[in-house]
Amino acid sequence: MATAASPTPPAAPPLKGVQPLRAGVGHSFFWRRLHSLSGIIPIGAFLVEHIISNFETLNGPLAYAQQVKFLNSLPLVRILEWGFIFIPLAFHAFYGLFIAIRGRVNVNVYPWASNWMYVSQRITGVIAFIYIIQHVWRQRFSGISLPENPGAAFHKVQVELSNPWMLAIYVIAMIATTWHFAYGIWLFAAKWGITPGDKARKKFGYVCAVFGVALCLMGLTSIYAVVYKYPNAPANVMPVQPAGIDLPAPTVPPPNSTNPQQPGEAR
Amino acid sequence: MAQSTIKVEIKRQSTPDAPSTTEKFEIPYRPGMNITSLLGEIALNPVDVSGKATTPVTYDSNCLEEICGSCAMLINGKARMACSALVDKLEQPITLAPLSKFPVVRDLAVDRSVLFENLKKVKAWVPIDGSYDLGSGPRQAPQIQEQRYPLSNCISCTICMEVCPQFNDVTGFVGAATIAQTKLFNMDPSGSVLKEERLRALAGDGGIQECSFSQNCVQACPKQLPLTEAISDMGRDVFIQQVKDLFAR
Repeated sequence: MATAASPTPPAAPPLKGVQPLRAGVGHSFFWRRLHSLSGIIPIGAFLVEHIISNFETLNGPLAYAQQVKFLNSLPLVRILEWGFIFIPLAFHAFYGLFIAIRGRVNVNVYPWASNWMYVSQRITGVIAFIYIIQHVWRQRFSGISLPENPGAAFHKVQVELSNPWMLAIYVIAMIATTWHFAYGIWLFAAKWGITPGDKARKKFGYVCAVFGVALCLMGLTSIYAVVYKYPNAPANVMPVQPAGIDLPAPTVPPPNSTNPQQPGEAR
Repeated sequence: MAQSTIKVEIKRQSTPDAPSTTEKFEIPYRPGMNITSLLGEIALNPVDVSGKATTPVTYDSNCLEEICGSCAMLINGKARMACSALVDKLEQPITLAPLSKFPVVRDLAVDRSVLFENLKKVKAWVPIDGSYDLGSGPRQAPQIQEQRYPLSNCISCTICMEVCPQFNDVTGFVGAATIAQTKLFNMDPSGSVLKEERLRALAGDGGIQECSFSQNCVQACPKQLPLTEAISDMGRDVFIQQVKDLFAR
């Protein structure tokens, strides 16, 4: 036929309901994977460090103070703190909330274990989010500053936990946070294709569960040590601690000083 | 137990935009019925429980043996195939409703075009169309066949999408079926020529990253496809493709 111009297909009307995949559009793959990774490194790694450091409370206020002092004497510690804790944590928290509000929980209709875990990851995430805001504010940025006064760390936490409500919040948050982390490791391995097979995922589930329970028990033990094992800890076990110097600055010039303006008495 | 009737409540709407209503029916009991035969029974005598004449219920169905994938609906609230849902095993009154995440066409029939569009986006086919005879394809090792066969059992019923908490209007998640088909065709010796394009498509917005591993898909799938395994495998392949594209393209 002469009219052989290829017929243009009629423009499909836009679909109602859930839209199809937007191939080649957006960067959500990058952000979602970064969110998943940031939960393991650096945030998860920091959580492990934090719980191990807290475990020093079992050895008493001085041991804990020395651990706090050690951490705060790391080189570039403020950059480490912001670059590897606060900024990744803030990203993980806010992007996690963004993920959570986009899901449509249906565990009431499909009450399967894995579906409950899906819900639990969101609930524990929100608990951790709220807890960490108050924890960072009250323990790091208000009250006596622990980087400058590591000796006051034990007492500061003990005072905080003397309120039974706060103690309950800490226990709940410890369980929620370690749960979130342990299941997060499992999710990481599943999503990144490290454990694709059903058996591999099941076995790794046990590994994560044991790890999470161990971490949680260590954290709860530290809470016990602060609240019950060392009651009435001194307000500061390392009084007057300017960074790196353990004695007051000299005020008197040494005998026969050639520069009386420069104090530096022999000790 | 001698039952005389089967009680059914069906959520109906006459047009895509009409408000939905629930109609109640009471059907004479016969042993061994499934939901499609129940709906056929209603069509024979479309009279509701109060004796008011109504229209036969619209629903999609074809094969009646769980192989065509058309009769997915909410049966007692859960997404299932109507043909393999046996009345004798269901609590009564049986409630029937259309799938909740797809636009209703009429009654229990929904528009599942989004799955077809998604399959097109990931090029879920083997490109063998040419202007000349391309000859026979490469041979497939039986080990590859064994991995591919379960994935080829997908009947496009969309139940995996309906039960997924991440498949919704906000995320526009692609859903497990399309990801599984991506793996199926990537593993095909001829189909793998489009592997990179498929993996790039899955990294777009609404792609594989929206999966949060609630694993409802694999629980609900009537054909027992290894969907979570496919998602995990494709998650790794999509990531590797993204890294390759970042450094090598």
